[in-house]
Amino acid sequence: MLATADFLKRLPYFATLSPQALEQLARETRELSLDKGEIIFLEEEPCDGLYLVASGQIRIFKSSPEGREQVLHIARPGDTFNDVPVFDGGLNPASAAALEPSVVYLIPKDILLSLVANCPVGVAIIKQLSAQMRRLTQMVEDLSFHSVVSRVARMLLDLATVEGSSAPVPRLTQDEMAGMVGSVRDVVGRALKSLERAGAIKMEGHRLLVVDAGRLKEMSYVSDKSRIR
Amino acid sequence: MKKVVPEIDSGKCTGCGDCVAKCPTHAVALVDGKSVIVRPEDCDYCTECEVLCPSGAVRCPFEIVLVEAEPRATEKR
Repeated sequence: MLATADFLKRLPYFATLSPQALEQLARETRELSLDKGEIIFLEEEPCDGLYLVASGQIRIFKSSPEGREQVLHIARPGDTFNDVPVFDGGLNPASAAALEPSVVYLIPKDILLSLVANCPVGVAIIKQLSAQMRRLTQMVEDLSFHSVVSRVARMLLDLATVEGSSAPVPRLTQDEMAGMVGSVRDVVGRALKSLERAGAIKMEGHRLLVVDAGRLKEMSYVSDKSRIR
Repeated sequence: MKKVVPEIDSGKCTGCGDCVAKCPTHAVALVDGKSVIVRPEDCDYCTECEVLCPSGAVRCPFEIVLVEAEPRATEKR
């Protein structure tokens, strides 16, 4: 346990813990030895806790339904990974696998949360930062795996205000829409026409009407192999 | 209900007349050296004027509205 406690003390997260608290934390920490290529956890699985790399390298990645991968980060000794779901309570936002024979420590979620529980403001701030990080991770997935048509479809689903409701109606130019989905106006214009041809939306003057939200949702998951950017 | 037409920022409009020349429905004209939608009833909101305005004076925002009562989407709001 002493070796684990020494390792934990060197990490910025735990540098201020007392020796007794470090010892306690070390007792709760699990050590995992991994072979090259071994999967540690998968995206969308429930979160076990926070991982720390003791040795080796860990690949953090997103996968598309077709099996394409986008690496988000290579975690090296001293790095943590899977921080986001520990604090926002959601599922794992990405998968993790050993790039080479590696050793990682797992601090169970409840144990880690107990270390910050006496600072509610801090917890609230961490939750907010985690939610922002999750949104950025989702953005990487969208930009990597989804066509502009599907990104525009998802944006419209997120933004559309129910007609007649008291919520403010979003007003966006096609340039502004392009900025939101990481594309350019011309391509967004073509994407809107595709969605209109598919019967998901209807352009009526200055109004962009979502007339079939189910169809729009279907199109938001299309990962077009001949993607237009 | 008043017809919604492209928004023209007269402060940015240089009066170059590009939108007047290219408007497919001839809804826009120069008035005192600035572009104005003079025939709003003819404007079909094609957004051409926004695309070609070299000074970025024209905006054609779209209101994004869900008109289908779809349970999943209405629950979000």
